[in-house]
Amino acid sequence: MTTTDVLTGRATTAVAPVDRRRPGIGAALRWETRKLRAQLRTKALLIGAVLAPIAVVVVVHSQPRPPKDTLFGRFATENGFAMALLVLGVAAQWVLPLLTSIVAGDIFASEDQHGTWKTVLTRSTSRSRLFWAKTVVAIVFALVALLVLAASTIAASVLIVGHQPLTGLSGQTIGASSALQLVAASWATMALPMIGFTCLALLFSVWSRNAAVGIAAPVVLGLVMQLVGALGGIETLRPFLLTTPFEAWHGLLAAPRFTGPLLDSVITSAGWSVVCLVAAYLIMRRRDITGG
Amino acid sequence: MDNELAVDAVGVTKTFGSLRAVDDITVQVAPGEVYGVLGPNGAGKTTFLRMLFGLIRPDAGTIRVFGRSWDADGIATLDGVAGFIESPAFYPYLTGRQNLEGLGLLDGGLPSDRLGEILDIVDLSDRADDKVGGYSYGMRQRLGVAASLIREPRLLVLDEPANGLDPAGIRDMRALVKRLADSGLTVLLSSHHMDEVEEICDNVTIMRKGSVAFHGAIAQLRAMAPDPGYVLSTTDDHRALEMARLTAGVQAKRDEDAGLVVTGQEDAVSAYVSALVRDDVRLLAFTPTRTPLQQLFFMLTDPDGTGATKGEAA
Repeated sequence: MTTTDVLTGRATTAVAPVDRRRPGIGAALRWETRKLRAQLRTKALLIGAVLAPIAVVVVVHSQPRPPKDTLFGRFATENGFAMALLVLGVAAQWVLPLLTSIVAGDIFASEDQHGTWKTVLTRSTSRSRLFWAKTVVAIVFALVALLVLAASTIAASVLIVGHQPLTGLSGQTIGASSALQLVAASWATMALPMIGFTCLALLFSVWSRNAAVGIAAPVVLGLVMQLVGALGGIETLRPFLLTTPFEAWHGLLAAPRFTGPLLDSVITSAGWSVVCLVAAYLIMRRRDITGG
Repeated sequence: MDNELAVDAVGVTKTFGSLRAVDDITVQVAPGEVYGVLGPNGAGKTTFLRMLFGLIRPDAGTIRVFGRSWDADGIATLDGVAGFIESPAFYPYLTGRQNLEGLGLLDGGLPSDRLGEILDIVDLSDRADDKVGGYSYGMRQRLGVAASLIREPRLLVLDEPANGLDPAGIRDMRALVKRLADSGLTVLLSSHHMDEVEEICDNVTIMRKGSVAFHGAIAQLRAMAPDPGYVLSTTDDHRALEMARLTAGVQAKRDEDAGLVVTGQEDAVSAYVSALVRDDVRLLAFTPTRTPLQQLFFMLTDPDGTGATKGEAA
């Protein structure tokens, strides 16, 4: 017999204690996924990830002169694979950090904004479970957004510009089939630094409790890191910058191929991710929920 | 387990910077009790309830809920506990039903027929599929009660549930809380309205600036309350004041703002008014001042008041 039984007239005596089944992290994951899917922003981002590359490819392809001063820009108007790599180079500068930050930078701070921490933290799900559920959802969204963006870019580039053999970074000719694989692989290498930026945005979101800071700070920090990475005389610092892994794909398009930067990319991205997540977790565990 | 207190908070203290929000308070609520925590804004009621829910940690003292504590039992401390702190908050881009389904998910799942029943109880069935962003304040309060009920609680904690509601909303909310209390639930209710606590609760803790100013039964509080007071306006206040001095059990004083303020038991004041009429002093207005319990509440919680009435003060 429960409270509702009593109130709906199905019983007339006192309420019996109810032992609730404690939900696992799966319940928190389903809840966070439902919330994310219900938000207009999520849909807009994914639709944008489909449409924006098409628009960019059409605009660049219609230019009378190719953007020669950009990596693969020289061939972008006549080669679809070069076009896809040109878009990749530009996206890595700020689009990818922004894409993931819009969700990850908001996912904790929005609970503060809506005052809903007190709503969810007074249920049967612990702070830890909520933290990991939000983290997993943010990372999965980042990967889905990257996948959509990559698929749209490659498809639009190949369909609109063409799929002629690609001239690699060392001047070698890469057949269309290999070029497609290498372009896809190049886009795939974005996953690790993107997860790193996701974790950075999660940290800012937890720490600042402000969605604007959670979204903007990783993007600004990414631009600063690119600026620092472009400076001379900081070779020892460059491997530790989270933006360096965004360039790890260059080795795939060289002859002979070199994959050292990809290994460095794994280490750098994983390091940033772990440090950011540990810091965010500790802040989340210890903070007093005084407002939300 | 049955003999365990629903709430056993002992010597609880919480400081924010230089502000001691809660200062060594003890609150004990027995199962089945309807308990009020009363105090003006800033008295520390909400901070205490936040500690009860584990949203903030006390600097000192212990809080046990049905024998469980946050340090030893973690989230299991909230088994059988539900409620809301300040105004209940929900996701505005989700409907009321989606919010409840999601919260039910975090509690291990909620059958859809149960959800329908709960929506009926709080009278939100018709608006359940509207986005919460379009809900009125009163509807959100009722959704907050619904969100509590889906946990099937043994202890319901409500922080100023009627706050911000219009008179009809206040009436409905109080009726709902009474029905819940009558169903056998233990209810811990915070409020800054004496009449609300008086109407609903068996026992009360009155807080003032983070400390306990009184704790005990409402009946004890009533016994401590001063005589009722009335504001009089007459055709001859000077004469009315003179006559009050001659009437047993009645005290009168002139108040610059209010006029003539008379206190005394109902019988004595009634006799006094009759005497005024007999003596051709016509009554132009006769208005009750605060209720005796409200008066006592202000005496206990007004830091500059004369409230030394601490017969049961902690």
